[in-house]
Amino acid sequence: MAVEVKLPRLGQGMEAGTIVRWLKSEGDAVAKGEPLYELDTDKVTQEVEADADGVLLKIMISDGEVDVGTTVGVIGAEGEDVSGLGDGNGASPQPPAAETSAAKDEPSGAPAEATAPVEAAAPAPPAAGGERVKASPLARRIARERGLDLSSIAGTGPEGRVIAEDVERAADGAPAAPPAPAVAAPAPPAPPGEVEVVELTSVRRTIARRLTEAWEAPVFQLSVTVDASELSATRERMVGLMREGEVKPTVNDVLTRLTAAALMRHRAVNAHFVEGRIHRWPGANIGIAVATPNGLVVPVIRGAERSSVQEIAAVRADLVARARDGKLQLADLEDGTFTISNLGMYGIEQFVAVLNPPQVAILAVGSIEDRPRVEGGELVVSPTMSMTLTCDHRAIDGSEGAEFLRDLKALVESPALAL
Amino acid sequence: MPEVTYREAVRDALSRALREDEGVFLMGEDIAEMGGSMAVTQGLLEEFGAKRIRNTPISEMAIVGTAIGAAMQGMRPIVEIMYEDFLTLSMEQLVNQAAKHRTMSGGQLKVPLTIRTQGGAGWSPGAQHAQQLEAWFVHVPGLKVVFASTPEDVRGLLWTAIHDDNPVVFFEHRTLYPVKGEVPDELEPIPLGKARIHREGTDVTVIATGRLVHEALQAAEEAEKDGISVEVVDPRTLLPLDEEAIVASVRKTTRCVTAHEAVTRAGFGAELAAIVQHGAFDWLDAPIERVGARFAPLPFAPVMEQWVVPHAADVLDAVRRTVARA
Repeated sequence: MAVEVKLPRLGQGMEAGTIVRWLKSEGDAVAKGEPLYELDTDKVTQEVEADADGVLLKIMISDGEVDVGTTVGVIGAEGEDVSGLGDGNGASPQPPAAETSAAKDEPSGAPAEATAPVEAAAPAPPAAGGERVKASPLARRIARERGLDLSSIAGTGPEGRVIAEDVERAADGAPAAPPAPAVAAPAPPAPPGEVEVVELTSVRRTIARRLTEAWEAPVFQLSVTVDASELSATRERMVGLMREGEVKPTVNDVLTRLTAAALMRHRAVNAHFVEGRIHRWPGANIGIAVATPNGLVVPVIRGAERSSVQEIAAVRADLVARARDGKLQLADLEDGTFTISNLGMYGIEQFVAVLNPPQVAILAVGSIEDRPRVEGGELVVSPTMSMTLTCDHRAIDGSEGAEFLRDLKALVESPALAL
Repeated sequence: MPEVTYREAVRDALSRALREDEGVFLMGEDIAEMGGSMAVTQGLLEEFGAKRIRNTPISEMAIVGTAIGAAMQGMRPIVEIMYEDFLTLSMEQLVNQAAKHRTMSGGQLKVPLTIRTQGGAGWSPGAQHAQQLEAWFVHVPGLKVVFASTPEDVRGLLWTAIHDDNPVVFFEHRTLYPVKGEVPDELEPIPLGKARIHREGTDVTVIATGRLVHEALQAAEEAEKDGISVEVVDPRTLLPLDEEAIVASVRKTTRCVTAHEAVTRAGFGAELAAIVQHGAFDWLDAPIERVGARFAPLPFAPVMEQWVVPHAADVLDAVRRTVARA
């Protein structure tokens, strides 16, 4: 039996997605679990797998934005008739019944069968305005698919219920093709050559929406400058001890591990602010801001407080590679409890990051530079790094943020304290 | 293909299983010399001896408890409970023990037990000897439940039930024992969880079990004279249930009637209706109709008994309601 391919809900809060392209063509054999099409959600682009074996009989929606649950294609046996399945849910909206009858009243030109009255001699009057129409689920579905107004169809089922047959009859009598909308807007003037207009990708749109939301949170920032000698030295020693096939840890990997340790000592910072409540998380799931061709994504290193730097490096390398290839899954992006944004590699010395809601804090990390410092009255030069913590004041007070940052500074300057 | 009765088909599956595996044995009341109160086990004592065809005292709880012990020790006991009404006496063993041991022991124990029983009205057995209680058991995780309606099905399904490593409650219907049907020479095991489409149709699906399969087929013949095309589906196993086949059939016909001899209220048809409305909601063109017995203890008086339990005419009425016009 033919199976409708419906747009899946891939994560909480997902209402729609954008089909980027189909990886199979109509008529191709597909196996359950094989990638069928690429779907762009507001978080990632991912391949959606077929959930049935058979032949891809029909692609209903080849690309564009689609609501969750919409039928986008049909898989079934070769040669199977799919005309009754899901057709029309992707078609352009039909005009309301009033327009249809107006079109019918046009004096001349249309062939006789096209102007045949739609249930003009119906046995029961259609439901009055606003009254609930009694109709079977099947009748409702067919009416929905064909853009017919149920209240204009007379029911012949028990108690005047509109049944499938009634809708079919009404549909057969309706004009074959809906008239094109008359209000075709004049083409907008061509944009001047020097301005490039870029449509937002769904990832970009999400960034825009979420960061605008974040901007409404009352935030404050705290900055420290740390001596990064031990941080760099620790990382160097780890690189020296690397075994064959292991991923080379970065300064940021070590920092991730130390931040996790600090978060476990300051649970108030490792939290979400959701609907007027603070959710303090038991483990540190640290999001790493990654720039990709499609925009910023923040894949999550889960359980960083329980991981070695080497394990963090391996997970990070995999996430970053997949982020750049657009192969992240929703699960890679969920449940982050804290975010680190590091622009050190661009030579940025210090900056302020915007909150990543619902998380209550984010750390902005700058580059490591040799700078003069005064130590015991002496001028010394040492590798130095700035860290700026942005806090959501609804969840965190200044003292809590300051205590976290003080401890993080101590850990960065003496990584062994994380033991 | 030879024609055999439903009774002979059950006996054939039992004999073959007894011959094939020394671990298979039968327990039940009056099943040895007397050959069972429904004559199903006739002749088995002579072939397999008293050690394997065992008469028991009249205690369903003891019979099932003993069989559970034997099953956990690696045997494949087949218990006959004379009337399914008496299954109520073994509920503790069946529901709290047999159904639970496999999961509670983390898979260390298995209970490969088959409980055959029979019931059903139509011959004035009264209120305590003719109930249809299959729905009680479908509610218990850990059990499997079979209700076969034809000789071929009863043989193939019983064979599978006996060789299943879980407790299976296997329902037979009293009035089906003399029903004849073609059965292949070679026994073909029938997997649990596979429905059978007895008759294809396009207007309405009747999902029927046990005796009502035959009543539904008769109703389908009648309906055809009125131009109504009825599909008759027998799930055959109620647990596990072939939801896919059932939903597919209703999506095709767009209308559904459930039919069993058990009382309608909270009967198996209620579960079927729930599954169908969920799986085929957008395909339904009429409310799902349920056919079952009236909600009453079965009367002894034949006329009243017939009035309480459903027949082909009741199925036909339900079919007509689903395709009704105002």
